[in-house]
Amino acid sequence: MKNTENFSQEHHKFLRARKRKSILIQCLRIGLLILLLGIWELSAACGWSDPFLTSSPSRIAKTIGSLYTEGTLFYHIGVTLAETLTGFFIAVLFGTAAALLLWWSDTLRSVLEPYIVVLNALPKIALGPLIIIWCGTGSKAIVFMTILVCIIVVIMHMLNAFIMTDQNKILLLRSMGAGKLQLLTRLVIPSSLASFISMLKVTVGMSWIGSIMGEYIVSKAGLGYLIVYGGQVFRLDLVMGATCILCSLAAIMYFCVVLLEKLLVKNTQT
Amino acid sequence: MNEILTFDHVSYIYHTKRDEIEALNDLSFSVREGEFVAVIGPSGCGKSTLLSLAAGLLTPSAGSVNCSGSVGYMLQRDELFPWLTIEKNIYLPLTIKHIKTKEIYERARARAVKYGLGEFLASYPFQLSGGMRQRAALIRTLASDPDVLLLDEPFSALDYQTRLNVTEDVAAILRKEKKTALLITHDISETISLADRVLVLTARPARVAHAHELMFDGVVNPLKRREMSAFSGWFEILWKELNA
Repeated sequence: MKNTENFSQEHHKFLRARKRKSILIQCLRIGLLILLLGIWELSAACGWSDPFLTSSPSRIAKTIGSLYTEGTLFYHIGVTLAETLTGFFIAVLFGTAAALLLWWSDTLRSVLEPYIVVLNALPKIALGPLIIIWCGTGSKAIVFMTILVCIIVVIMHMLNAFIMTDQNKILLLRSMGAGKLQLLTRLVIPSSLASFISMLKVTVGMSWIGSIMGEYIVSKAGLGYLIVYGGQVFRLDLVMGATCILCSLAAIMYFCVVLLEKLLVKNTQT
Repeated sequence: MNEILTFDHVSYIYHTKRDEIEALNDLSFSVREGEFVAVIGPSGCGKSTLLSLAAGLLTPSAGSVNCSGSVGYMLQRDELFPWLTIEKNIYLPLTIKHIKTKEIYERARARAVKYGLGEFLASYPFQLSGGMRQRAALIRTLASDPDVLLLDEPFSALDYQTRLNVTEDVAAILRKEKKTALLITHDISETISLADRVLVLTARPARVAHAHELMFDGVVNPLKRREMSAFSGWFEILWKELNA
């Protein structure tokens, strides 16, 4: 459809200006990061701040490097990643299924509504001791914590999306003779796709909260373990290093969801 | 002529926590096969309830609604599904009714091509103009060959120019396909330009206050009707009856 040769001089100018602007923004973003890291490094090097308390970019890099040479870097990343992803997928799967069930039955929804509200408001960390007793001190407890933190959000988000389905479209399908199952498969689920993606984006963040919180309570390995351990032995380089890795992992997971969104939501500009 | 849709002393009451609202009260009328009937009434008089009853989505509180055929519903907005292509949208009534017959799908497709949607079959709704989308909605409604078309203010969401064109469009398609139609609207001139017969409803609870056969010497084209001298006469009559 697009034929660049047909564009007027003005339009080419407009496109060039737009491109220049977006390059500028990219440069500024990277520049800001370099500037912040530079100030941080400089303040540590010049003794304006105590690197024992604030660490510094070079020390963080060195710490991550030594974890790598010890061969434990990918082990810790792997442990936390596995826990987070397992919890994330289980929560999304069962949460969405539960939301479907609640959409299906008005009575069930009314009955369970106060329970969901209370569970949502409850700080999940309060269940820490219970989780340790029920699930032991292994990865199971951490996955369970992750599920707990995520699942209510998934249920509430998806249920809301299912309920918000356009009433006129429901009327239209019913006038065609559609039953409840057809309403669900033909309309409610496809029209909730955008909400599903936005739910995934929220849940990515929640799942990291869950797994790291779980590792704070009980763990022998993982990034959360490194952070807690680093804090206890006052190795703030380790704390900062693990945090940086965590940041990049969460960002990668988020961009995976954005990629999924691009694949799934192509045709709906309305 | 055969009566295809009959309302026989129909009442309908909505129940809410605080109130019960009588939407229709002792409403009787019938629609004959091949006829274009328009129902006008003051806003909020229960017109949409009337269509839901006709479509069998609601059961009357008293009286009975008889429809000796299948119905197709067309709403104010096109309500095309944004995640389906125009072609898939048009087949929607067929997929819902679990129709597998290839010929019926081919007929729906042929109708879309005949009425100028051929090049848009693979497009998505957002790529079409408002007028084209409403036309696609009509072709979708016709896909399962309903005996009666229920039109719920199908033009009111369009801008004026598009609206005149789409009205023209829909009238031509419905006359060509020899469909029975029941239109509800609050637009007097639309009513006069389209209908064979008009029912004027009272305010809630709605009853039929007046009924008119619109004679335009056999002219059915909406724009031509608008140019005829009888048009303004009918406008005045209906305006007075609506505001009575």
